[in-house]
Amino acid sequence: MKALLTSLVATAVLALAAPAIAHHSFAAQYDPSKPVTLTGKVTKVEWTNPHARFYLSVKGADGATTSWNLELASPNYLKRAGWSSTSLKEGDEVTVEGSLARSGANMANARAVTLADGRRVFARSDSDGG
Amino acid sequence: MRTSLVRRALGAAVIAAVVSTAPHAQQTPGAATAPAGSGGANNPAIAGARPAGPAPRLPNGKPDFSGVWVGGGPVGDIREGLMPGEEIKLLPEAEKLMKSRMAADDPEARCLPTGVPRVAPYPWRVVQAPAVGEPTHLYFLFEGNIHSYRQIFMDGRAHPDDLEATWYGHSVGHWEGDTLVVETVGFNDQFWFDFVGHPHTTQLKTVERYTRKDEGTLENVTTITDPGAYAKPFTIKFTATLRPGWDLMEYICNENNQDVEHIRGKAGL
Repeated sequence: MKALLTSLVATAVLALAAPAIAHHSFAAQYDPSKPVTLTGKVTKVEWTNPHARFYLSVKGADGATTSWNLELASPNYLKRAGWSSTSLKEGDEVTVEGSLARSGANMANARAVTLADGRRVFARSDSDGG
Repeated sequence: MRTSLVRRALGAAVIAAVVSTAPHAQQTPGAATAPAGSGGANNPAIAGARPAGPAPRLPNGKPDFSGVWVGGGPVGDIREGLMPGEEIKLLPEAEKLMKSRMAADDPEARCLPTGVPRVAPYPWRVVQAPAVGEPTHLYFLFEGNIHSYRQIFMDGRAHPDDLEATWYGHSVGHWEGDTLVVETVGFNDQFWFDFVGHPHTTQLKTVERYTRKDEGTLENVTTITDPGAYAKPFTIKFTATLRPGWDLMEYICNENNQDVEHIRGKAGL
């Protein structure tokens, strides 16, 4: 039983570490060597295909705000994982961890989204399966 | 954050392990069986358990392939499915074409169909019709990319002589024992076999051999013949996994596709 559990645990961890797969080559759009963490206010949520996405107003050190475009998995993926179009709302304060777009635009995938009170939204929400 | 997800997944795996060791248990944990490359459905938190009982049968005795599946074809690189001893030998023109391909030009990233044998990392459903009597058609209904279908004629007809080139081609199927054999010709040359851009021409012919190894496993062994792009035929194997209890959902890829304008670099070679 212990061996079985060890095997299951190892497999579960491997499955979680599986490479990102979407309708496009994830690595061609995002650069995993360029991680980014952004904190700001959600200005818009798009529950659309091929990816759900939301926009974030981020205030810089100089007080100026910048709009960021954050990509999630597909709405169907998120729905099957228990999330919905109302899981994140306009006005929510969130912290996003992701990787920057290779294009240089203010765009990133949103691997982890955390609300101000610490609650996690769209767990494992990047383009895996999306 | 990551920790809580891992804990949740491991919790599910532990519960599944306990269930699977219970008397008369018919299921094995999805976390232990989900194939690599099956996309989001790889996530053990949502993949569910894969049943390992015997493959069901239709009233006519043939295997029943119905259900929602994930995987069963190449997504990232077709070479991942090469059978032992098989190799891909591109002809010079095809190699040149592949080397010239940019990742942003992948038709699938532009919300166009995958063609054959590529699959999207989204669920698809097999429908054998009619379910009672001798099936005349078999359909693959794709949730995504694109929200479309393949139809396979099971009524014994031949390929017509006047085929126009299409994304999914013209498919006829027959049974060899418990294996469904699908022969397809009449493809256009627009789709790619994978992210890395393996090409083909309109001379492409595919022979797919589907076997439901058990309730939760659909094996697809496909031979690719294309004298316009490859020096010799080659055979690949991919496996689809059943997603019990899943339904297909709507997926309209091009309603808000912002991806291609941010994709950079060569596709593959």
